[in-house]
Amino acid sequence: MRTAGTARYALGGLGVLLIGIGVRLVVAEPDPAGVLLWLAGALVLHDGILAPLVLAVGLLLVGRRHRGTLRGALVVAGGLVLVTLPLLVRPGEPPNPSALPLPYGRNLAIVLAVVAAGTTARVLVRRRRERAQRDDGDAEGAGGAGDGGAGGGRGDGDD
Amino acid sequence: MDVMTLRPRPTPPSAFRPPSFAGRLHDARTATAVGRWLGAAFAVCFVTGLVSHYLQHPPDWAAGRLPSRPVWGYRLTQGLHVATGLAAIVLLLVKLWTVYPRLFVWPPVRSWRHALERLSVAVLVAAALFQVLTGLLNIVEWYPWPFSFVPVHFAVAWIATGSILLHLAVKAPEIRAHWGRRSEGTLALPAEDVRDRRSLLLGTGAAVAAVTVTTVGQAFTPLKALDLLAPRHPDHGPQGLPVNRTAAAAGVSASGLAAWRLEVTGPRPYTLTLAALRAMPRAAARLPIACVEGWSVDAHWEGVPVRELVERAGGRPGRDGVRVVSMETAGAYRVTEMGADYAGDPLSLLALTLNGQVLSLDHGFPARIIVPNRPGVLQTKWVHRLEVL
Ligand code: HEM
Repeated sequence: MRTAGTARYALGGLGVLLIGIGVRLVVAEPDPAGVLLWLAGALVLHDGILAPLVLAVGLLLVGRRHRGTLRGALVVAGGLVLVTLPLLVRPGEPPNPSALPLPYGRNLAIVLAVVAAGTTARVLVRRRRERAQRDDGDAEGAGGAGDGGAGGGRGDGDD
Repeated sequence: MDVMTLRPRPTPPSAFRPPSFAGRLHDARTATAVGRWLGAAFAVCFVTGLVSHYLQHPPDWAAGRLPSRPVWGYRLTQGLHVATGLAAIVLLLVKLWTVYPRLFVWPPVRSWRHALERLSVAVLVAAALFQVLTGLLNIVEWYPWPFSFVPVHFAVAWIATGSILLHLAVKAPEIRAHWGRRSEGTLALPAEDVRDRRSLLLGTGAAVAAVTVTTVGQAFTPLKALDLLAPRHPDHGPQGLPVNRTAAAAGVSASGLAAWRLEVTGPRPYTLTLAALRAMPRAAARLPIACVEGWSVDAHWEGVPVRELVERAGGRPGRDGVRVVSMETAGAYRVTEMGADYAGDPLSLLALTLNGQVLSLDHGFPARIIVPNRPGVLQTKWVHRLEVL
């Protein structure tokens, strides 16, 4: 117990030390206030806009059948959109022809279509399985992966 | 995370009630299960980032000793850096979704200790988001901020890593209690959430896989057919190879190269015309260009080994480093240096051809450096002077 406690404080101390190194490096920059603004901005953007948006989308899924599958599909699609978004909205021309050479809008549409097709296939397979099991009187729960409204007030969701 | 920390009153005023969260999975087991993957991803980013930093800015004692092997070393570490960083975007957002309700705990501050803890979480979240955001924008060549990317991304990496360690220390008991499926804390959570949690983790894993598979081909070329969403593609560029800095951007033009000579200084300095350089004994090497921005491609290079040029100038291959000077008019990488290990490696070339063709202007015509295990920015193009050190 004693050693675990010591290790814990040592870890915390090491963390504080590394934070200190980073803060010194930031302060040595020509414009530390600009860095601070971006740090705070990232926080506000996430906590104030992105997270509430995701929770709102999650609300749409409450009580739906196949909620787990749909949620997974939205997490996948959300991740793909986020990493592609800067490529799509970046202002100006790429610095040279070999930078950002792909048709990103089209490619994103293709990838999202694949995600949608995979999701639909999964839902159909599950539906069929549920139908086969309907005699057991356990149609929904047997599908697994937390689908359906069984959890009641699941007031929020995911990407 | 903790803007609420600033709210002064101890009880919720009637006009303001913190939102309540009826949803599930905002629990310590989910946070632990996602958090350990996120922690591993950040650890990989920090270590590979430090590798990149110190390969480019070694302390004096190490400058002459950086190893030129393995050939694929930097390709691996920087490819991993960007791929892991992109995967971390998904993990970070799922993790923050899980703990989001804690932003609204009431009362916002219970004690000094609690205030400090919340402040440290705010620092952690801000630094983590900052790292993935700046990294992501950097690789698409978008720099909307008022600072310079490399030193600030480097500085905040220390803050992010430090605040993760501090966070692990603060949360150690909770993490331990929720580490395994049968851990005490995990078992105390509602049993009906188990299946739902597994489903969320599965979705998260699928998202990580999807992001990785559609981008990693920019460095891991066997998957280049699936490179649909990465900022680079291994096949797109002059002579089938991407470039980061074109001749135009570097202020180098074909007409300016008319009087090109290679000057080599050392105990026995000499100057070569292009024809004389081409007439020297040549060697071939298969070496990757591995960009700091995470993309990389293997190519076939032919040229004169740097060690031959060093030897001819009276230098000692394997013991002397080399300073390389480019024709570019400006830029942080106009003059670069390589330690003895790089300069002595038989694979290190002053290259004249790329994949069997004379170098194009954008790839550094008439001659460029290509050395194993080095960041692309140090593979100096348009070389016109070598100084044996
Ligand atoms: C989406 C995520 C990320 C991307 C795309 C990314 C991208 C990059 C790039 C392109 C560089 C090379 C900079 C250069 O030398 O020109 C770099 C360096 C670095 N990165 Fe990241 N990064 C990401 C996340 C992270 C994270 C999470 C950490 C650490 C916790 C980190 C730590 C570092 C460090 C220490 C360096 C070295 C900086 C230097 O050379 O001084 N990065 N990163």
